[in-house]
Amino acid sequence: MDPRPYFHLSFRPNIKLVSTVRRFTDEFYRRVLAEQEISARLALATHEMLENAVAYATDGETAIRIELHEEKLVVKTWNRTTPDRLAAVREMIDEINRTADADEYYQTQLVKTARRTDGSGLGLARIRAEALMTLGYEIDKDQLCILATTPINVQVGAS
Amino acid sequence: MKLDLPSSTGPLLRVEGQIDGKAILLKFSGEADVEAKPEIDNVVRKIHEEALKLEAERVEVDLRQLEFMNSSCFKVFVSWLGSVQDLDASKQYRIHLLSNPNLHWQRRSLAALSCFAVDLVTITT
Repeated sequence: MDPRPYFHLSFRPNIKLVSTVRRFTDEFYRRVLAEQEISARLALATHEMLENAVAYATDGETAIRIELHEEKLVVKTWNRTTPDRLAAVREMIDEINRTADADEYYQTQLVKTARRTDGSGLGLARIRAEALMTLGYEIDKDQLCILATTPINVQVGAS
Repeated sequence: MKLDLPSSTGPLLRVEGQIDGKAILLKFSGEADVEAKPEIDNVVRKIHEEALKLEAERVEVDLRQLEFMNSSCFKVFVSWLGSVQDLDASKQYRIHLLSNPNLHWQRRSLAALSCFAVDLVTITT
């Protein structure tokens, strides 16, 4: 049996539950990672990923899984969504990954968002620049999985 | 003088406002998530209007007890700064942020805000 800690939660889309899940996962991070800074970064990323997953879910469940590997931690969220949303996410993450300087990309997004009237468009940029996590995605038909990864070099506080 | 602010829309956020001469003081505490977004929208709009009416020189925003802010609430602050930037220079007011260095989101997000509007924003920890 794989002894590494992980956390997996599925819930019906309800935006009001996102903060509850963030606090819950924050506690998980604090328990398994003996480092407050990385826990705070991960909690921020988790919140942004969950809000996106819930906000753009077309039906069914939203799920989150946090996997603790030997040298990295991966947060994954799943939701079913529209073709437009799938295309938008693919474009945003590809653009983020093409940009060498995450802070510069973030500043560009801040300028754009100041005049936007729909959504913030900042969630993914914030995960990259503030939570210092790399982003990826997997698409299977209408199912979207977002992956955010950070290296960890800290002692695991619980097993 | 206490400033009347729009009523609360979320259970986790508290906002208090005060006018002190040509300055407006605004204090946030709790958490700013999706439920708080309408309230933050309304509060920031009201503060901007008051600042113009008063010809305020500065708005001080105390975030030291605000434990979390999501990106949609953060966007409200970005748009607010954009609105102040769009004013004639004679009508612009400065925004001073009081931050808590122990809260990770504040270190990163407020630094980004400061870079976005470097002539308008100052940060004190």
